[in-house]
Amino acid sequence: MAGTGKAHMRPDGDRVLVVEDLTVEFKVGKGNVVKAVSGVSFDLVRGETLAIVGESGCGKSTLGKAVLQLPKPTSGSVNFLSKELTTMNKKDLRDMRPAMQMIFQDPISSLDPRLPVSEVLAEPLRVWKRGNQVEIDAKIDELLTAANLDPAVVRDRRSYEFSGGQCQRISIARALTLDPTMIICDEPVSALDVSVQAQILNLLQDMKDRYGLTLIFISHDLAVVKAVSNRVMVMYLGKVCEVGTPDEIYQNTKHHYTKALVGSVPIPDPDRPLSGNLIQGEPPSPANPPSGCRFRTRCPMATEQCAQEEPQLREVSVGHFVACHHPINE
Amino acid sequence: MSNTTEAVEIAPQEKTKKPRPVGFYIAGGWLAVIVFVGLFGRFFPLPQWDEASFDDLGVAPFSPRHLLGTSQDGYDMLSGLINGARLSVFISICSVVMGGGIGSILGITAAYYRGRLDAIVVTMFNIMLSIPNLVLSLALLSVLAYSDANNPASTSRRVGVLILSLTIVLIPILGRISRSSALQWSSREFILASKSMGSSNFTIIRKHIVPNVAPAILAIGFLAIGSIIIVEGSLSILGIGIPGGASWGSMLANGRGNIAFSPHEVYLPALCIAFTVISSNYFGDYVRSRLDKRESKI
Amino acid sequence: MSPVLKLTDVSVSFNTPRGMLKAVRGVTIELNAGESLGVVGESGSGKTVLSRATMGLLPRTATRTGTVEYLGTDISNYDAKQVRDLWGTGMAMIFQDPMTALNPVRRIGDQLTESLVVRLGMDKKAAREKAVALLKRVRIPDPDAMMRKFPYQLSGGMRQRIMIAIAVSCNPEMLFADEPTTALDVTVQAQVLELLSELRKEFNMAMILVTHDLGVVAGHTDKIAVMYAGDVVEYAPTRQLFTNMKMPYTEALLKSIPRLETPTGTRLPVIEGRLPDPTKDEPGCPFANRCPYVTDKCRAEKPPLTDGGNNHFYRCWFPIGGN
Repeated sequence: MAGTGKAHMRPDGDRVLVVEDLTVEFKVGKGNVVKAVSGVSFDLVRGETLAIVGESGCGKSTLGKAVLQLPKPTSGSVNFLSKELTTMNKKDLRDMRPAMQMIFQDPISSLDPRLPVSEVLAEPLRVWKRGNQVEIDAKIDELLTAANLDPAVVRDRRSYEFSGGQCQRISIARALTLDPTMIICDEPVSALDVSVQAQILNLLQDMKDRYGLTLIFISHDLAVVKAVSNRVMVMYLGKVCEVGTPDEIYQNTKHHYTKALVGSVPIPDPDRPLSGNLIQGEPPSPANPPSGCRFRTRCPMATEQCAQEEPQLREVSVGHFVACHHPINE
Repeated sequence: MSNTTEAVEIAPQEKTKKPRPVGFYIAGGWLAVIVFVGLFGRFFPLPQWDEASFDDLGVAPFSPRHLLGTSQDGYDMLSGLINGARLSVFISICSVVMGGGIGSILGITAAYYRGRLDAIVVTMFNIMLSIPNLVLSLALLSVLAYSDANNPASTSRRVGVLILSLTIVLIPILGRISRSSALQWSSREFILASKSMGSSNFTIIRKHIVPNVAPAILAIGFLAIGSIIIVEGSLSILGIGIPGGASWGSMLANGRGNIAFSPHEVYLPALCIAFTVISSNYFGDYVRSRLDKRESKI
Repeated sequence: MSPVLKLTDVSVSFNTPRGMLKAVRGVTIELNAGESLGVVGESGSGKTVLSRATMGLLPRTATRTGTVEYLGTDISNYDAKQVRDLWGTGMAMIFQDPMTALNPVRRIGDQLTESLVVRLGMDKKAAREKAVALLKRVRIPDPDAMMRKFPYQLSGGMRQRIMIAIAVSCNPEMLFADEPTTALDVTVQAQVLELLSELRKEFNMAMILVTHDLGVVAGHTDKIAVMYAGDVVEYAPTRQLFTNMKMPYTEALLKSIPRLETPTGTRLPVIEGRLPDPTKDEPGCPFANRCPYVTDKCRAEKPPLTDGGNNHFYRCWFPIGGN
C-alpha cells in the first residue's frame, strides 16, 4: 500500500537521515500479515529533535528499530549520513552502528543484570577497541558524571540496585559511549515517575546540546513531546497523519486523530471541562487495516472518499502537513 | 541546573549476608567426601574391592578387619563402596556435563536465532525425549559393548556406553530448559542494545545470554546428577549397567539375594545412593532458591 | 450517615533484612457514599501498600496498625475469609494490569457470571443475561460474541472494561481502582475514566482512585489525598487542592508535569534530591531535603496534619499562602 507521501520532506536541509517508503510487515501465523509500518517517509535535519507520536500499535517503535536495521525493514530506503543502510553488507552496516544509537523504554530491562555498570559501559568501547583500559575507565567516568551519577558509587553496582530514573541515566551514558551522531529514544520516560521524567528530559536536552546530537524521540505522550521536540510526526496504524512544529500541532490541529489525542491528555486543572472529544472504540487490527484512510472507522468526518482513496500529506500552512481529505477548519 | 550525585541513596548493598543453612554444610560435606574418596580412595590402606577374602564371608559391619563388613562372597564392603563412589560419580558427572553442555549449546543457539534452526532443534529434542532410557541403553549396549559368556565386554567399555546413552537422554532435558531460559533473556532490551552497539552474535551469546542462563542450568544439573545415579543403579540391578559390583547399583544387584543373611550388602550401597542423591538435590534446590531471590530483584 | 470507608491512623511496616520498612505512616482518610477520592503519589509514596492494606491483601511479612472501618464496622481484625466475603457486594477492586486479574484459561462469559452466581445467587440463565447487559453497559461491541472469548484475544482497553464490568456486577458500595489506566494508551485511558465516572453516578458507588497522575485525579475526583514517603501530606477537596495548594511537594509535583501549554524547549522544573530511607525514622519533615522553602524548623520537627479550614488538611510548617 502506498504511503502518505513525501510532501513534508526537506531536500534542501542538512539531512542526517532520510527515510523513504519504509514498510515493515510481519507474518503472524495462519498467513496473517501485520502491517506495522506502511510506506512511511520522513527526514531528520542535523541538530533537530523529531518526535514520533502515536499510541501503541501505531508502529512507531517498529519504525525506530527498522531505521537501525534491527531487523531490516521489509522494503523502503533508509539513508543515514548519505549512505544507504538497507542494501549494505553486514560489515559496512556494523561500521555505521556507532553513529546511530538507541535508548529503550524499560530502564531495568535495558541493562544486563549480571554486569556491573562499568562493564555495561565498557562493552561498546571494547567491541570497537577504543582505547586501553585506562582510557576506557576515564571515558566511563566522564560519561557517568555527565549523566549526573557519581562514578565511584555507581561503577560496581548492578542494574537491579538502581531506580528507574538512574537506570535510564546509565542507558543514556551507554548510548553516548561511541560518540553517536543520532540517538533514537524509544519512549525513554514512559516507565518513569512524573517527577523523574522531568529530570531525564532535561538530561537528554543537556546531552544534545553538549554533544551536538540529533534525536528521534518516540512517545505516546503529546505533552512530553511538546516540551522537547522541534518537529512532531503523528502516526496512526502504520501511517503518518500529520507533521508540523509542536505549537502548530497543538494550537492549529488539522487531523482528527491528532485532535482526539490532544483532547485525551489529562489536564491537572479541575476547571477545564473534560473535553467531549473522546473518540470511541479501539484501533482496528494492524493485520487488517481499513482501506483508504486508516483512521476513517473512528473519524467523525469520514466520507466515501476516505474509504476509497488514501489521503496524501499536503501542506496546509508553512511547515505543517496533514494527510486528510477533510482536515479541521478547511 | 543539573543536580549532582543523586546516586548515593541506592539500596545500601545488602552486606548483611544471611548465614548459610545447616543443610548446606551437611550436603556439601557429604558430596565433598564422596568426591575425595572417589579420587583418592584407591590409595587407602584397605583390601582390594574385587579381591575376595575367603575367611570373612558375610561378615557384619564393624568387624576387626572389615569396617563395614563383607559380602557373602568375601568382598570388603567399604572398599566396594569407595570404588563404587568413583564409578557412580564419574558416570553421573560425565553424563550431566556432556549432556548439559551439548544440550545447552543447542538450546541457547536455537532460542537466540529462532526460525528454522529453532524448529529443527525442538523437533530433535522431542524425538530424543520419546526414546525410553532403558531401551536406548539396552540397544547401545548390545551393539557397542556386546557381551556373552565367551567374550565379556570390559567394564570400561560398558561404562563408556552407559555414559553415552545417559548423555543422549540428558541432552534434550537440559536443552529444553536452557532454550526456554534463553528465550526469555533474548527478548530483553539489553540484547537489542548490544546488537545496536555492533556486538557480534557470538559475543552477545557468550557475554550476555550464557551467564544469565547458566544459574538455571546449574540448578537443574545438580538435580540431574542425583537422578542419573539412581538411573545407573536401576540399570545395574536389571543387569544392563555395570556388572560385578563395581558400582553402587551393581553392589545392590549382587547383594539383593543375600538380604536375609547379610542385609548390610543391600542397605549400605542403598544408603550411599540415597545420601548422594539427597545431597545433590539439596544443592540443586539451594542454587535455585538463591537464583529465584536474585531474579525477583531483577 | 457513617462514611463508607474510614481509615484511622493506619500504618504498615514490613520486616526486611535491612530493618523495619515503614511503608505507610499513620494515614487517616475517609470516603463517603457516592464520593470519589483520589490518592496521588509516586513510587515509594506508599499508596499501593495503603490500598492493599485496606483490602486485606498484605503479605505475611507486613504488620498493620490502626483501624479500618467499613460502613461503620471495624474490619481491621477480620480474617481472610471475612474479608473475602466483603468483596464483590461490598468492596470491589480493579487493578493496573487486567491480564493478571482475569483468568487466562476461562472465557469472559464464565468469569462474569461467576460472581453473579456466587455472590448474588442468580441462576445461570439470569446471570448470563445480566452479563451481556453489563458488557453493553461498558460499551463492548458485540457482547454476545465477547462472552465466548478468552482474555488473550483482547486488547488492554477491552480487558480493563471487562474487569470494570466484573467489579460492578454485584453493585458494590465502593470501588477501589488501583492505577486502572496507567498501562493504557491515553485515548483509551480517557474512555475508561469517563466510563468509571458514569458507572459511579449510576450505581452511586464510592470510589478510591489510586494513581501517580495529577491530571487523572483533577477531572474525576471529589477530593484528593497526596501521599509522600508514607504520609498523607495534603488532603483536600479537588478544587481546593488545585486553586489553593498548600504543600510545597504538591506544588513541585504539579510544576514538573509536562503540559501541552508549555512552550517548546523550556527546561522542566525538577524536584531535586530523593526520598528518605523508609527504614529509618528521621526527625523533621520527610520532604525537607528537597523542599525549596525549607527552614531549620522543618529539618528538626515533623509537622502534624493541620486543619486549614474548608476540609483542607496539610502537613507543613510554612504552607504556601500562609496558615
